This record gives sequence, structure tokens and C-alpha cells, in this order.
Amino acid sequence: MSVSFILIALIAMFGHSEDFLGTTLLSRPLVLGPLVGLVLGDLNQGIIIGATLELIFMGNIKVGAAIPPDVITGGVLGTAFAIISGKGPAIALAIAIPVSILAEMMISALFVLRAMLNKKFNQYAEEGNYKKIQWLHILSGLIRPLLMGFIVLLALQLGANAMRSFLDMIPAWVQSGLQVAGNMLPALGFALLMNLMFNKKVAPYFFLGFILASYLKLPIIAIGGIGVIIALIITQYMPVNTNDDDDNNETQEPDAEPEVIHRLTNRDIRNIFFRSLALEANFNFETWQNTGFAFSIIPALKRVYTDKKQMAEALKRHLQLFNTSPYGSTLVLGITAAMEEQNSRDTDFDAESISSVKLGLMGPLAGIFDSLFWGTFKVIAAGVGTSLALKGNIMGPVIFILIFNIPHLLLRYNLTFIGYNAGTKFLSNLAKSNVMDKLTTGASILGLMVVGAMPATLMNITTPITIGSSKSAITIQGILDQIIPAVIPLGLTFLVYYFVKKGAKTAYLLLGLLVLGFVGSMIHLFA
Amino acid sequence: MIKLTRIDDRLLHGQVAFTWTPALSADCLIIANDKVAKDEFLKMTLNLAKPAGTKLLIKSLKDAAGFLNDDKNKKLNILLIINSVTDAYTLAVDVPEIRSINFGGLRSKEGSKLISKAIAIADDDIPVIKELVNKGIELEIRQVPTDSKQLVESLI
Repeated sequence: MSVSFILIALIAMFGHSEDFLGTTLLSRPLVLGPLVGLVLGDLNQGIIIGATLELIFMGNIKVGAAIPPDVITGGVLGTAFAIISGKGPAIALAIAIPVSILAEMMISALFVLRAMLNKKFNQYAEEGNYKKIQWLHILSGLIRPLLMGFIVLLALQLGANAMRSFLDMIPAWVQSGLQVAGNMLPALGFALLMNLMFNKKVAPYFFLGFILASYLKLPIIAIGGIGVIIALIITQYMPVNTNDDDDNNETQEPDAEPEVIHRLTNRDIRNIFFRSLALEANFNFETWQNTGFAFSIIPALKRVYTDKKQMAEALKRHLQLFNTSPYGSTLVLGITAAMEEQNSRDTDFDAESISSVKLGLMGPLAGIFDSLFWGTFKVIAAGVGTSLALKGNIMGPVIFILIFNIPHLLLRYNLTFIGYNAGTKFLSNLAKSNVMDKLTTGASILGLMVVGAMPATLMNITTPITIGSSKSAITIQGILDQIIPAVIPLGLTFLVYYFVKKGAKTAYLLLGLLVLGFVGSMIHLFA
Repeated sequence: MIKLTRIDDRLLHGQVAFTWTPALSADCLIIANDKVAKDEFLKMTLNLAKPAGTKLLIKSLKDAAGFLNDDKNKKLNILLIINSVTDAYTLAVDVPEIRSINFGGLRSKEGSKLISKAIAIADDDIPVIKELVNKGIELEIRQVPTDSKQLVESLI
């Protein structure tokens, strides 16, 4: 067993630890690819393969309890086999796609099995034993990285030689076909993103992004900058919330709540934030993030409840089902911490209201934060990151992580304090202003401009067809470039988008694109 | 026109705001729920999650049925959300336009059985489901639009 196999398995384990690391996208192919490349002594290939896989899996997102193909296992194995055999990105994706679908099934099975632990958790809660709850949460969370790391190691150990000789048998024409097919696949990722973001109202921004990229050849980072400016200008002129016929006499209500002395220290609240990074560690299909929520709120419970019975009640309360976007989870945690504190102080406090506020908030907040982070920050980060990484630039993955996580962690950290200090008042203020409207509109403009730029920047499909005799041949591509550069990638993206809208299954579209690319390459229609 | 009738006990959340609304090109979301219609706090939080460019209406079951049956509202692209099988039944009886119901999320609780990743069915839901099937209404499970449809009756 070679050292590099063990290191690659460790990379897969690191990726599968994402549920402990705050869903910070460290597990994306764009990040893990370079790591695998580094281990195998070809960092450059690792970066490029990672970027290629990132593009193809771009539309793959985790929303709610819907689990996408496991790009971690698929991506790591695909990258590793491609580099070992020296066959390049096309082979990586040919391996990554089926493997990720298989691995997703295993993870789903794990999420089903984990639900069986809920009995144990509840028993510990009954005893008021928060320490055991913490441990079980962490132990159960470790199953996923350990299991998947082992599988990756096994696959490498048993499969590497067989895979190498198998890949060596693949003739060159199949490889070039795969190459073209691979270059087409990002159209599926873009179309899936468009499906989430594109509508008639915001369509102009998509084309603006496309034109800036195709005619002016602006890099995606510049288009993102222009997008921010346009979004700011547009949202400045949005009407102030008139909120239908809502009686506005709420303003009479004086904000003269008695000043309460907060018992939680800043350190407790920081602790809640850090623990929230492990919110999804024990994700299961029955109660979702419940143990993660309990795990995160324990610093507050420890502070306010000294009585074992009260602690038990609180723990039981927080082992109820919970699921929200991890990115906004700290807001709910902060609000809950404040309510638990109030409950500990005020004997008349209705503890049921804690659960109902939690349940009331988790859905809407998931809606806001999933859209903001998956729909905007992830799109921009991946757009900028892959465009650099495709050229072999190591800053690609670095910038990818920074663009996503600087706003993510800043917001997530501050929301813990805002939730605790301002509670639901923060939300009602938000509801009264039109900040949310501005935010969602601005974010969708920005996101869509970047998506519009993607076909032109990130997809490399041209046609080698020529007209006329070999001496005075005119290439069709040359003509196209003068009229609409990158029209083939754009056309393909819209073609796939059309089928996505029609309800075509993703797997068929994937297959369709592969065939189109393959055949197109054989008959020299595409290159 | 009702583009989708969805049972989801988290009502309006990530999957609904971020995947279904754009996929259906919905411009009007209706949450039909007697309890929520009376709860100012819940209404406020739900309004915060409203996707850009859509209208969100939170109505009691009776008002929702009236709204849906009103010809004036036929040109809206409606995404209708309820949070239980029973409420779905009530609306399906009152609103003939509902011919298909999407099961998006029903959390498990005491005495319910998980029939799919995110769908738990209680014993007293089963006669209601049978009744809906007898009415010729399609009951399908999909969390997000790109999932493939699974029929509820094949799983109970």
C-alpha cells in the first residue's frame, strides 16, 4: 500500500468532514483536486481537473434534505485515477460521475441508519447528560469521513492497477471524443443554475454578463464587480415597503422593554458560533440537524440551567427535529439562547414558545440563506475560481474559498450575537424595512450576470468546419467569432436549459450531452 | 393556474423558495393554513423568506379555496403550499383544479412511518390518501424539481 494512496484517502476524509467544518465548500472538487494533484506530484493537473469537475457539478447543490451526488468521493477518485494514468480531465469525469452517484447512495443509507441513534440521544437528554449527547454527536459524525475514507483507500488499492491497464486500452479517438464531451458537460451545470435563477424579469442581466464576457473578454471577477455596482444602483430605486394594508400603528409600541442583564458571556456566544460549524455532523433523515442544534446550544444551556431537571427538559426540547440553512443557523441559535435564558429566569415563561419560534424560523431562514449563499456567493466564487484554475492558477481554489467564506463566516458569526441581543425584534425590523427585497433582488442580478458570463468564459467548444477548398478555406468558427463569439456554448446552454425546463431528467441530459459531444467530435462537427 | 400543490410542513423554505419557485416560474405563493393565518409572528417570518419578484399570500383554508376558485386569479402562476395531508384533502375537495399533489416534506412524529427520505406518513393519513387516489388525484413525492416522481400509493 503506497503512502500516496493513504494520503489521498485522508484527503477524501477531510472532504467528508465538511459537516464539521461549517459547510465551507472545502469539500468541492476545485479544492480537493489540487490536493490530490499535490500528493501525486502533479499539482497543475490537479488544479485543472478540479476546475473541470467543479464546472460539471456546478448545478449540484445541497438544499434541505435533498442530497446531491457525492462529488467528494467521485471527485477524489476521478482526479486520482486520471493523474495516475496520465489521461487528463476527460477520464476524471468519466470516473467521477458514476462513482459520485454510487457514493451518494451509501451516504443516504448512512443518513437513514443514523436516525436509529435518536433513541440513544433522547435517553441521554432524559438524564440531563449533555456530555454524552456531545460525544455521540461527534462520534456519529465521524462515521462518514471514516467510512468514505476507507472506501476510497480500498478503491485505490484494489482498482489502481486494473484501472490503469483498462484506461491504457482506450483508443485515442475515444479519448478525444471524451474530451469534447467533457467540454460540453458544463452546459448542464449552467442550465441547472439558470433553472434556479433565470426568468423573464432578470433575463437582461444574464445577457449583459454574456456580452461582457464574449465580446469584451472581461474576466469573471470584473463582471462580478460590475454586477455588484448594477445591483446597488437598481436596488437604490426600489420602492420602500408599503406592506399592503398592514396597520402601521405598531409604531406606537414603545421600545421600553426593561433592560435585562445578559447572563451569557461573549465567550458563550462565540462558543455557540464555533459549535454551529458542526451543525450537520450527525445529519439524518428523521430529525435532520436536531443533534447538531442541541450540540450548538449546549454552552447557553450550561450557563443558565444549574438544575439537572431543567437541563433535561431543555435538551429534550432541542432534540426535536430541526433543519435550516447552516449559513443562517446561528441567528436561530442566538434567538433560542436568549429565550432559554428568559425561560430560566421567568417561571411564567412558556417553554413551548421556544420550540414554536425555532420551528417557525427554520424554514423561512433556510429560504433566505440558501438562496443567498448557493444562488449568489457560490456562483460567483465558483465562476471566478474555476476561470483561474482552468489555466492552472493555484489562486483559483484559494479565491474560491475566500469569496464564499469571508461573507459566510462574518455573517454567521455576527448573526449569533444579533440573534441573542436583538432576538425576534431584529426580524420584525427587517420585515418592516425593504432590506430583504433589496437583498434578494440585488443578489439575483449579480448571480445571473456571472452565470451569463460562464458559457463564454468557461466552456471551450468550437467547430472545425471549413468552407471552400483547402487553400482558401474559411473557418465557420472565424465567421461566428466575428458575429457572436461563444455562440456555440451559449446555444448549448440554452438547449439544455430548454430540456431542464421541460422536466427532462438530469441523468439523461448528461448522457445526451456526452453522446452529442462524442458523435460531434467523430464527425468533426465540434472540437 | 395552480402550477403545483405541495405538502410541506416547513411551508416556505429553501427548497420552495430557491428551487420550486423559479422552476415553475411561479409568481404567487399561497400558504393555506388556518393556524399560520392567525399567527402574526409566523406570517412575518414567512414574508421575510418571500423570493424576489413573487407575491406571498397567507390564507386560511377556506379563504384560499375561495381565492383559487375565483376566475380573476386564473392568470397567476400559483404555487400552493399546505402542511398536512388532511389540509390537502380539504382543498382538493373544494378546489376542482387540484389534480396532482406533490409530497415535499412531512417530518416524522410519534406513530408515523418514513416512506421516503423526507416523507413520514401517519396511520390516520392513509385513509385520506386512499380517498385522494380514488378521486383520481396524482400523489407524487419530489423534494426538488429535478427529483424523479415517486407515487405515494406505491410506498404505503
